[in-house]
Amino acid sequence: MPLWFARGLRRGVVTTRYPASPDGSAASLPTPPAFRPRQLSRQVVDRMVAECPGRALSRRDDLLIFDAGACTTCGRCARVAPDAVTSSGEFELTATARSALVKTIPILGEGQ
Amino acid sequence: MKPAPDEAATAGKLRQQIAAQFGRSLHIRTLDTGSCAACEQEIRLLAAPHYDLHRLGFFFTPAPRHADLLLVTGPMVRAFEVAARKAYEAMPGPKVVVATGACALGGVYQADPFVHGQVGAVLPVDVWIPGCPPSPLALLHGLGVAVSRLAEKTPGLTFIAADESPGDGP
Repeated sequence: MPLWFARGLRRGVVTTRYPASPDGSAASLPTPPAFRPRQLSRQVVDRMVAECPGRALSRRDDLLIFDAGACTTCGRCARVAPDAVTSSGEFELTATARSALVKTIPILGEGQ
Repeated sequence: MKPAPDEAATAGKLRQQIAAQFGRSLHIRTLDTGSCAACEQEIRLLAAPHYDLHRLGFFFTPAPRHADLLLVTGPMVRAFEVAARKAYEAMPGPKVVVATGACALGGVYQADPFVHGQVGAVLPVDVWIPGCPPSPLALLHGLGVAVSRLAEKTPGLTFIAADESPGDGP
């Protein structure tokens, strides 16, 4: 703190860069899902949509619509389809347009 | 007696000094519109020594009249609509509204009759911070984006797993 204070006085800059240093807790944060399109089928997606409590998932024909803004990172879609869903590792999801948070994911898999 | 210095030049110099001293400062008013308090818990952590929001020039203020940024959490319960509008109108311009958390963004309570379901139904939202709740790191990034100090990452994200690209067939 005294060092930081002296540096601030000398340079005339009272704020620091962001991030000042990498944060160790970032790796353990829950993050929204990332999907594997080839593991997704219409049936699997419909089961995931039914399980999603935050209405973050929906299906339009062969597209999975994922609203990252509505996702509560509960992990239920990953429980329904462990092969098709993994963790994205992204938590800095701030957007300046709401539509930027809605992503479409192609459904490329076949079968049940 | 020395001649009086040019008034305009002095004023300009003074403005520069003020900008240098206070230009990086931003005051935040939080607004809970029916949140479960998880978002508040994370917001509170921003002021703790580990995240130390103040090093970045952000401060919390209890009065909307002193605030530049309105940090709104919760799904905007209908009973709070008037208070939310009043808080927004009491703020001096330019002002920024940040919707924080999944329910403020329209996620969890879309069909609930007691809430609007999203902050955007009542206030003009400028920045959206997803998360349930958004971690302090996500909030810091969001505040950085709100004051155009950090770049947003969302447009570049696909939420397709890294080990599989969308074009590949089996």
